[in-house]
Amino acid sequence: MLRCISMSKFQRIKTDILILGAGGAGLFAALHAHQANPDLDITICAKGLIGKSGCTRMVQGGYNVALGNGDSIERHFMDTIEGGKWLPDQDLAWTLVETAVTRIHELENEVGCFFDRNEDGTLHGKAFAGQTFDRTVHKGDLTGIEIINRLMEQVWARPINRLEEHRAIALIQEENGASIAGVLMIDIRSGAFVMIEAQVVLLATGAGPTMYRYHTPSGDKSMDGLAMALRLGLPLRDMEMVQFHPTGVLAGIDTRMTGTIIEEGLRGAGGYLLNGNKQRFMHNYDELAERATRDIVSRAMYREMRAGRVTPEGGLYISMAHLGPDKVARQFKGMVERCADCGFDLAGGLVEVVPTAHYLMGGVICDPTTATERPGLFVAGEDAGGVHGANRLGGNGVANSTVFGGIAGDVMPQWIAQNPGHRTPDEEHIKHEMHRALNPFSKPTGDLNALRDQLLQLMWDDVGILRDRPGLERAADKLGQLQTDLLATGLAGNGDDLGVRSFNLTWHERLNLESLIDISLVVTRAALKRENSRGAHFREDFPQAGELDSSTFTTIRQLDGKLDVTTQPVQFTRLRPGQSLLGDNLDEKTS
Amino acid sequence: MNSSIKVTIWRGAQIGSYQSYDVPQRDNQTVLDLVSWLQRHVVPDLAYRFSCRVGVCGSCAMTVNGRPRWTCRTHVSKVVKDGTLKIGPLANLPVIKDLAADMSPFFDQWHRAKGSFVPSAGRHDPMARVKPGSPRRQAADEAIECINCGVCYAACDSVRWNADYLGPAALNRAWTLINDERDGGNDARLKAVSGLGGCQACHSHQTCEQLCPKALNPAKSIAGLKRRALSAFLKGAL
Repeated sequence: MLRCISMSKFQRIKTDILILGAGGAGLFAALHAHQANPDLDITICAKGLIGKSGCTRMVQGGYNVALGNGDSIERHFMDTIEGGKWLPDQDLAWTLVETAVTRIHELENEVGCFFDRNEDGTLHGKAFAGQTFDRTVHKGDLTGIEIINRLMEQVWARPINRLEEHRAIALIQEENGASIAGVLMIDIRSGAFVMIEAQVVLLATGAGPTMYRYHTPSGDKSMDGLAMALRLGLPLRDMEMVQFHPTGVLAGIDTRMTGTIIEEGLRGAGGYLLNGNKQRFMHNYDELAERATRDIVSRAMYREMRAGRVTPEGGLYISMAHLGPDKVARQFKGMVERCADCGFDLAGGLVEVVPTAHYLMGGVICDPTTATERPGLFVAGEDAGGVHGANRLGGNGVANSTVFGGIAGDVMPQWIAQNPGHRTPDEEHIKHEMHRALNPFSKPTGDLNALRDQLLQLMWDDVGILRDRPGLERAADKLGQLQTDLLATGLAGNGDDLGVRSFNLTWHERLNLESLIDISLVVTRAALKRENSRGAHFREDFPQAGELDSSTFTTIRQLDGKLDVTTQPVQFTRLRPGQSLLGDNLDEKTS
Repeated sequence: MNSSIKVTIWRGAQIGSYQSYDVPQRDNQTVLDLVSWLQRHVVPDLAYRFSCRVGVCGSCAMTVNGRPRWTCRTHVSKVVKDGTLKIGPLANLPVIKDLAADMSPFFDQWHRAKGSFVPSAGRHDPMARVKPGSPRRQAADEAIECINCGVCYAACDSVRWNADYLGPAALNRAWTLINDERDGGNDARLKAVSGLGGCQACHSHQTCEQLCPKALNPAKSIAGLKRRALSAFLKGAL
């Protein structure tokens, strides 16, 4: 029986455009929407501080864009499609590479990013793995900071409403269920509910596979956007595609630094990976050894760990000293300093590392205008699926968020012009979602830390780098049990008391776990469905890639509380496997 | 693993008190790890802020044993004194709850200092050719990597004494833009940083330079602004 919780009093706000998330996608959407129609009331919300939470800021590599001089958008497109193992939605990928050119000019000329230059004063493009041209525009190795700082300044300088430390908990449908009417949020600081009614909503919360024992994304990410989309019945695609980065820091239990990236350039520069016996092992797996691609190195490392040849903390080592500690300290200054702050000597000693969950290629299905199937709801950035297919190229992440965030900002005012007016929210839906959020306060307290540990460990063990049917089925069972256990695990205090809910991080961790478990189950079911190995997804029981020409992608939606899992054929709208847009080898590589 | 640290933490908002807890000490442990352990195991409603975990976002700065620091990049062994640590929110800012300060005054000053780029070209124009070795580009680069963590603002005596003072980070940003040859807003910016609470309000204590976790030198940027303002004044441009 539902406990009666008094929640009749909550704040209601009306805005025209509501943007969830304040990374590259959200900030760009706000700027473009304001530019398109300055009369519209625009509100941008972030779970943390605007521009500071999320992962755009953490971009080290840079921004892939074809700026000519031998490069072309066709070449960038081919690299993206090949990298994605022919699974990307080709119209989305084309929109990415084409619009990236305008977007980088906008970032440099209008937003004020000051990218690094060649000696002749033109933009410098650096080499990045998996690409046939040095097209990654950057600002040192802190490109994300430059992009996000400049974007947030531009947003501060405009009459755009900013709601910081506001967490979205549900996309609220309109009374008749046809479209959405707004978003139910929690003001984290006060603990109060806030219902924001909006004519359009952009979902740009940045996904983030933090349900793995080792993960790179920022601590505030917990798949909230995708969990909300799933509950609303929206279809998600490619959800089995979780990218692992080979080298994350391994510092032991209760350390936030564990899982954070040790940059890829170290291996490129000649760094060694050593097992627990302090011996190199990568040449046993691939002739390129440490310089093989992310997915190959991650799988080899996982196999070495599974064979038990591990370090004291259960990982492997990265070793740079043979290249000369002074040289390493100069060349990788930021990384060496970060390790030193945490007590590790990267330049001269051994640092324990482990592969780490980095990026979710899957997401909400959308078209190149960022529209979802639900009228009034748009999606951009890591919450959206289909751009990267089975693997994302380094440098395509921030291009993706800024390109499609900007497009959403262009499109949403047009949509409002054609479909003006706010829609009446479904009050029963609001009540139901508030009740769901407050539910933990009506249950006996339990061990939330143990539940989190179980989730992270089972996803790492059974839905991680190497997968097979028994492991995935075991995971699906355990996740079902975890869902049940979590719903029975409560929080201290009276949930009616705002003082109890104010800045209560443990309440939010509880809500995070709900989103993470829901999406973990989706990832597991998608991984079961794909019986081949493509890009980031590797099935030990189906190690072959399968025929490219008949490629399919997985889709999942929630229907009547159950996950409906299907596959759809990839539409090769621009070219088929074996074909190329590059004149020099057009049709020559078919075999 | 038997040793523990006595941690004293601010509980409350503007009004509150320090309270003490024992936290197990570990080999690899940052101040953020310690605060997180407390919230997860002892004080479930303890409020604090963090995001990136690697010194990029500047969300997790707190006052640790009297000094503002990024907690994610501060190893406990470097700051613990006689087995104790005192942790509070950043100074010079309102307290929301416990260890979370309200950063909005800091960002308001950034805005007042006209710390956002003013374009002189559009997205369909070619990008400016800027030689990497040119003196202005080098001056801009020298100060550009600020992540707006607020450590300098919290450490600054002039901020504490003068509510109008824009503070080291905002002025440092203004100086970067003044050196940015692409920017079209420098006349208005120089006025903004030369007026009440502007660069002249800096007393050159140089705490910002000593404590900046990025090893930037806002004091030097402010000195540059003072020179530029004087020159503009003498030319009758201010």
